[in-house]
Amino acid sequence: MPSRADPAVAIRESVVVTRLDHVHLLRIRGDDARAALDVLCAGIVRARDGQLQHVLLLDDDAHCFADAYLVADDEEYDLLVEGPTADALHAHLARHLPLGSDIEVEDRTVTHALLGLDGPYAWELVSRVAGAEAIGLPYLTFFHADEWTCYRAGKTGEFGYGLIVPREARDSLETLLLEKGEPLGVTRGTLDTLDQCALENFFFNVRREGREPVTPIELQLQWRVAYDKDAVGLDALRRHRAAGPSVRLTSLVAEREVAAGDEVRLDGAAVGRVVNAGWSVTRGDCVALALLDVRWAHPGIETFTVSHAADAVPARSVTPPVLNNRSLFVSPQLHAYATRAEVAMPPLARR
Amino acid sequence: MTPTLEARIDHREMVLARIRTLLIESLGVRRMPDEIDPDTALFGSGLGLDSIDAVELVVQLDTEFDVQLPNDVFGRAEMRTVNGLVDLVLAAESAERDDAVAR
Repeated sequence: MPSRADPAVAIRESVVVTRLDHVHLLRIRGDDARAALDVLCAGIVRARDGQLQHVLLLDDDAHCFADAYLVADDEEYDLLVEGPTADALHAHLARHLPLGSDIEVEDRTVTHALLGLDGPYAWELVSRVAGAEAIGLPYLTFFHADEWTCYRAGKTGEFGYGLIVPREARDSLETLLLEKGEPLGVTRGTLDTLDQCALENFFFNVRREGREPVTPIELQLQWRVAYDKDAVGLDALRRHRAAGPSVRLTSLVAEREVAAGDEVRLDGAAVGRVVNAGWSVTRGDCVALALLDVRWAHPGIETFTVSHAADAVPARSVTPPVLNNRSLFVSPQLHAYATRAEVAMPPLARR
Repeated sequence: MTPTLEARIDHREMVLARIRTLLIESLGVRRMPDEIDPDTALFGSGLGLDSIDAVELVVQLDTEFDVQLPNDVFGRAEMRTVNGLVDLVLAAESAERDDAVAR
């Protein structure tokens, strides 16, 4: 029986607090900031003051360079960036920001830290620390508190909040969250926990499938791309689109462990390769993403096998998410962790 | 691959293509069909549909495919993505075939 103290369970049933040390925080300001961001981001920059936007940064070959939230804060912008190292990120900016433009880039990662709160009752914990304002915070918006900024986002399929806090105040805020969250079953999370949840909910992971030499077309990320603008990587992407993709990212569930790099077979023929996989504690099987031949990159095929070591693991393609996220059934206006047993829920696993 | 599987995938691709067209022509999604990835979220930051669009979408699916989607469709996880809509249509078609056989 999975333990609720396991962060993989807590994130699906209560709330976890995670240090987001893998995220770089940049502040971009200046008269040309928005125009410069439009060159960096593959999609149209739409975020208005007080909003976040999920954006994708490509390299010159249209491969994914970074996954980011763009935060529009008055006349300035924050970029919360996942994927590249700090050096690679700054080199990318130096190479692609227009010369002679009025832009200042401040790396706030040295002065600020991020904490993530994820889970169906994350809103209850954040409200205990940030006040009632947090409860009604719309998705992809933020507000400033005295010492920190609270935004609502997340890549787990559950309620998700991020707190941007001065680095010296991070530990005390984390302690406060764990204390206030004790009645809510709070647990400390890890990056591995967040990655597994992203996998289960088909949220793009730039550190896993995002490292493959493919484009947003194969990765099903075209909703974050605008083909009718000029930005880094879009020329290459337009050429690639004209040629047509040969593979597409597809969700699989497997009866036993499989791993990135394993070959996927259908009726004995190789049809693709696993690019991300992890054991789902909440489902009791292995969830994977594979780049499959587009002909077979559809849900509902029950007869795949994955070659893992000497094992031929039965697998089937599915429509994500592979869970019935509790957060879809929890209303901050009506419910509370203490009365969670009163909320009618379907089984956690979608079969 | 077996002919049965080939035929099933052909039908799924046909339903997917018609849903992409429906999203563009009836729901105003400003994308070309090949830009609408099958696992894209329909609502919020994905294709940008809202709750009013959801009602229209179900009506359009019922009409386009001549099926009756379940009454509780709005609470279902299938309503979250394009592939989920394909699953709903395929399930409704299957249920109606079963009903026809039973009659």
